[in-house]
Amino acid sequence: MTIPISEVLRYLGASAADEAARLAVGQAAEELAAALAPCFVYKVFSVEHTDSGAFLPEAGLFLPGAMAKTMLQGCNRAALLCCTLGAAFDRLLRMTQARDMAKAAILNACGSAYAEAGCDEAEKEIASRYPGMYLTDRFSPGYGDLPLTLQPDFIAALDAGRRLGVTVTDSLLMLPAKTVTAVIGLSESPQPARIRGCGFCALKEHCAYRERGTHCGI
Amino acid sequence: MGTMLQKSGLKPGEIPELKNIEHPEMIAAVHRAYIDAGSQVVYANTFGANRRKLAKTGHSVAEVVSAGVRLAKKESGEKAFVALDIGPLGELLEPLGTLTFEDAYDQFAEMMEAGVAAGADLVVIETMTDLYEAKAALLAAKEHTKLPVIVTMSFDASGRTFTGCTVAAMAHTLEGLGADAIGINCSLGPVELLPLLRELRRNTLLPVIAKPNAGLPDPTDGHYDLSADDFASAMALILREGADIVGGCCGTNPDYIRALRQVLSEKKDVRRVYEPRSVVCTPTVTLPMDRIRVIGERINPTGKKRFQQALLENDLNYIVDVAIQQLDAGAEILDVNVGYPGVDEVTMLPRVVKALQAAVDAPLQLDSANPQALEAALRVYNGKAAVNSVNGKEESLNVILPLVKKYGAAVVGLTLDEDGIPDTAEKRFAIAEKILSRALALGIPQQDVWIDCLTLTVSAQQEQAEETLRAVAMVRNQLGLQTLLGVSNISFGLPNRLLMTQTFLIRALHAGLTLPIVNPNQKDIMDAIAAFRVLNGEDAQSKRYVARFADTQTESKPAAGFTMTLDDAILRGLKTEAGRMAREALKTEAPLSLVERHLIPALDKVGVDYEQGKVFLPQLLSAAQAAQAVFEEIKTVLANTGAETVSKGKIIIATVQGDIHDIGKNIVRTVLENYGYTVIDLGKDVPPEKVVSAAKEHCAKLVGLSALMTTTLPAMEETIAQLRRMDAPPAVMVGGAVVTESWAHSVGADHYAKDARAAVAIARQVFGE
Repeated sequence: MTIPISEVLRYLGASAADEAARLAVGQAAEELAAALAPCFVYKVFSVEHTDSGAFLPEAGLFLPGAMAKTMLQGCNRAALLCCTLGAAFDRLLRMTQARDMAKAAILNACGSAYAEAGCDEAEKEIASRYPGMYLTDRFSPGYGDLPLTLQPDFIAALDAGRRLGVTVTDSLLMLPAKTVTAVIGLSESPQPARIRGCGFCALKEHCAYRERGTHCGI
Repeated sequence: MGTMLQKSGLKPGEIPELKNIEHPEMIAAVHRAYIDAGSQVVYANTFGANRRKLAKTGHSVAEVVSAGVRLAKKESGEKAFVALDIGPLGELLEPLGTLTFEDAYDQFAEMMEAGVAAGADLVVIETMTDLYEAKAALLAAKEHTKLPVIVTMSFDASGRTFTGCTVAAMAHTLEGLGADAIGINCSLGPVELLPLLRELRRNTLLPVIAKPNAGLPDPTDGHYDLSADDFASAMALILREGADIVGGCCGTNPDYIRALRQVLSEKKDVRRVYEPRSVVCTPTVTLPMDRIRVIGERINPTGKKRFQQALLENDLNYIVDVAIQQLDAGAEILDVNVGYPGVDEVTMLPRVVKALQAAVDAPLQLDSANPQALEAALRVYNGKAAVNSVNGKEESLNVILPLVKKYGAAVVGLTLDEDGIPDTAEKRFAIAEKILSRALALGIPQQDVWIDCLTLTVSAQQEQAEETLRAVAMVRNQLGLQTLLGVSNISFGLPNRLLMTQTFLIRALHAGLTLPIVNPNQKDIMDAIAAFRVLNGEDAQSKRYVARFADTQTESKPAAGFTMTLDDAILRGLKTEAGRMAREALKTEAPLSLVERHLIPALDKVGVDYEQGKVFLPQLLSAAQAAQAVFEEIKTVLANTGAETVSKGKIIIATVQGDIHDIGKNIVRTVLENYGYTVIDLGKDVPPEKVVSAAKEHCAKLVGLSALMTTTLPAMEETIAQLRRMDAPPAVMVGGAVVTESWAHSVGADHYAKDARAAVAIARQVFGE
C-alpha cells in the first residue's frame, strides 16, 4: 500500500511544484510505510430502509438522517468499515514530536493519507468479494447529518475494539488517532457520486483550500 | 462466555455482565455446560464489570461482580475453581489515551475487592494489549487480594500487541511484579500462537498459559475456521510445546473444551531453554545485559545550572531533550535523578518518568536517595526498571530491597556501608556479597543485582583507583554479576579530564566493567567504548565501529564560498549550526540583542514566506526549531550567570477537555516559544478548572485553547466562560480544525488563530510590541 505524496502535500498546504517539500514528504512516507501498515476490519449487513434513515438489523444499528437515507437508497446491503494505523502510529508521532516538530507535521499528514489509502484497499477487497455489486461512495459518522454519536455502536458492531484495538472516548473521539470508520452501500445498480465536491462538505464555509481558490480533491 | 452469550441471544451493544443480575439462569447454564465439558477453572462473567462500563446502568461494580462470582461458585461447587475475570477497561491509558495509570488502578482495585468478597478462588487478568494496563491490574490484584493471579495478553502473529508490547517485555515485567502464571489469549488460533509460546517460555520461569481462539475469523462474517476436533489437535501441539494451562477463547464452546480434555494426556514436561540473564525493558524494547550497556548520566541536576532551572520551572521538555541527546549519542539505559533542593522528588520523579516514557523508548534507571520517590516512580514505570541504589547499610537493605522485589526491578548495590567506603577491594567485595545474599533471601534473582564498586577521585586518593578496578574484577569473576561505575568521578580536579576519564574507562572495561555510567555526549568516551566492543568481540566484523567513523552528513551544508550567518542558519532550519553560531555570538553580544536583532527578524521572514505560500509548514517549524537551539544557548548563558530569563510574557495553552488530538497545539507551542514567549503547556484533555487555576497561578495575560472535534467545542466554550468569570480575565485565543472566526467570537473568545503564525501576531498584540 503506498502513501499518495501529492495528497500529503495538499494536506500540508504545500505547492505540488515545491521540490524540497516533495522530497521531505517522500522520505517521511517511505519511513512510515516501512514502519507499519493500516489494518482494517469490515462486515457486510443487510439494510432496511425507513422514513428517517437506514437500519442494519444484524448489527442492531440505526443510521439516522438524510445522508444515510440518500446514500443507501437502492442498496440492500451495506458494509461497515473501520481502518486504523494503530497505536504504533500514535507512538511514532509522539516520539517524533519530541525530536523534530517539522518532521512530525509531515508524518501526521502522511498518516492521514495512509489511513485513507487503507480504506481504499478495504473498499477494493469488498468490491472483489461482491462481484457484480456496485459500491456507493464511502461516508462516515461526523459528516453530513450522520451523527458522531454512532461511533461506539459502530465500533461494537465490528468488534473493532478486540480486533483492531480501537476505542471511543466519552467525547466520541476514536483512538488510536488515525482511525476511520465508514459506511459503503452495496447495490445491484450503478451508484452515482452523491457526496463528492464542496457542495456537500460541512467545512466549506471556512475551508483553507477554498480560500486559496483550490479544493481538497474529494 | 462471550461466544456462548451471543448464541443465547445477547444483542450487540448490550452489556454481558448485566445478565448476572437480569438473567442469572442464562449465565449459570453457560458455566454448567463448561463444567460438564470438563473445565477445571471457569471464568466468572465479570470481564467488563468496571466502573466506566457500568456507569449508566444503575448497577454498581460490587453488585455485578459479586453476582457473577457467586453464580459461578454455585454452579462449580467442588468441581471447578472460579476465577474473577478482569478484562481491559475499554479506555486507553496515557500517553496513548487520557486515562491515568492511577485511575486505571482504582477501577481494577474496586473489581478485586468485590471479587474477593464474593469468594473467587483466583484472579485472571486477560486480553490485555497494553502492558501498562496489565500492570495496573496486576498491582491492584496483589494489593487488594491474596489470591493467585494469572495474566494473559493478546498478541498478533508478529508477536506484538496492539500497543507494540513484545512477548519478552510482558514476561519480564509481569514475572517481576509477582504474577503466578502468564500467557497468551485471544487474537490468534492455536497454530499461530505456537511460536509465541516458545518465545514466552524462553523468557520466564512461570507456568505458561495458552488460550487461543478457534482459529482465525472470516473477514466478512466473523466466523472462526477451526472445528472442535481441529482445535484440539492443534492444542495437542501446544501441550507438547510445554504449555502448563490451556483453554479456549473466542469462537470456542463446550464442545471445544470437551475435545481439549481428550488431548490433555499429550502434555509433556518440556525442558525449558531459559537463560537467567538480567533484563530491563520498556513495552517495546527489551535490553538483556549480555554485553556492555552504556548508561547515560546526564539526567541529573548536580552541577548543572540549566538543568536545575528546568527542574524548578517544571520544564519537562528540557529533560526529554537531554534524554534524546544521550540516546542519539549511544546511551542504552538512562539514569534519572531529579534530587535538588526545592524539588519534591516524590512527585517529580514519577512525573519525569511519565514524560520520558511518553517520548523515548529506553529503559530507565531510577536514581534517588528517597525511598518514597523510588516507589512512586517504580509504580508508574511501564516495563522493568533498574533502581539506583541500595548499599550495605542495614537501613538501606531493609527499605530498598523490598521495593525492588515488589516491583520486579534490577538493583544497583553500592559497595559502602555504615563504615563508609572500604579502602580495599576485598572489603568492597564483601559488601557486594552481603547485598547479594540479602537480595537472594528476598527472592530477587541473582542476575538482577548489579554492583557499583565506586570510583574515587584519583587526584585525592590515588591508590584507590587500583582498588576499585580490583573490586570490579572480583565481583565480575567470582560472583558473575553486572558491574557499574560512574567513571568520570576519577578525573575531578585534574587538567585534561577527558583523557583521564577515558583511560580509566578502558582499564575498567578490561577489568570487567559491563555497565559504564558516562556522559555519552562526550565523543571520546563513546569512541573508546566503540573500540573496546571490537576488541572484546561484541561488534562482529567491526560493523558498528566502521559505521561510527564513516563520514556521515546529517545537515545539508552550504556551498563552498558561502559564509553562513546566524540568520541564514535559522532560515534554513539548521539546528546544530544555529546553536553553534549562537554560542559564538553570545561571547560578544547580549542575549536580548541576539533575540531582537537576529532571531525574531529571521523567524518573521520565514513566517511571511509561509503566509505567502512560499514555504510550507514543516519549513516554518524547522526554522522555529533552529531558533529553539539558539534559545537553548541563551538560557544556558543566563542560567550560568544567574540572570533573569528572557521572556516576553507567559502564555497558557491547552487542548480542551475531551480532546486528545494535540499536534496542532504543539505546533503553536513550538513557534510561540521561539518568539521568546514562555509557554505553559497544560497538555491535552484539560478540564476548564485546570486552565483557570493555571491562568491565576501564572497571572497569564493570554490563554490559547485548541479543539479539533465538533464534540469538544462545548468544552472550549465552557472553558472560555470560566476564564471570563475571573477577576482579571486573560485574553483568550482559540483555534483548531473545526473552529471558525465567527464561532470564536460568538462564544466570547478575543482572538481567532487560524494557525501558528496568527498566534504569534495575537501574542504581539496582547503583550504590546
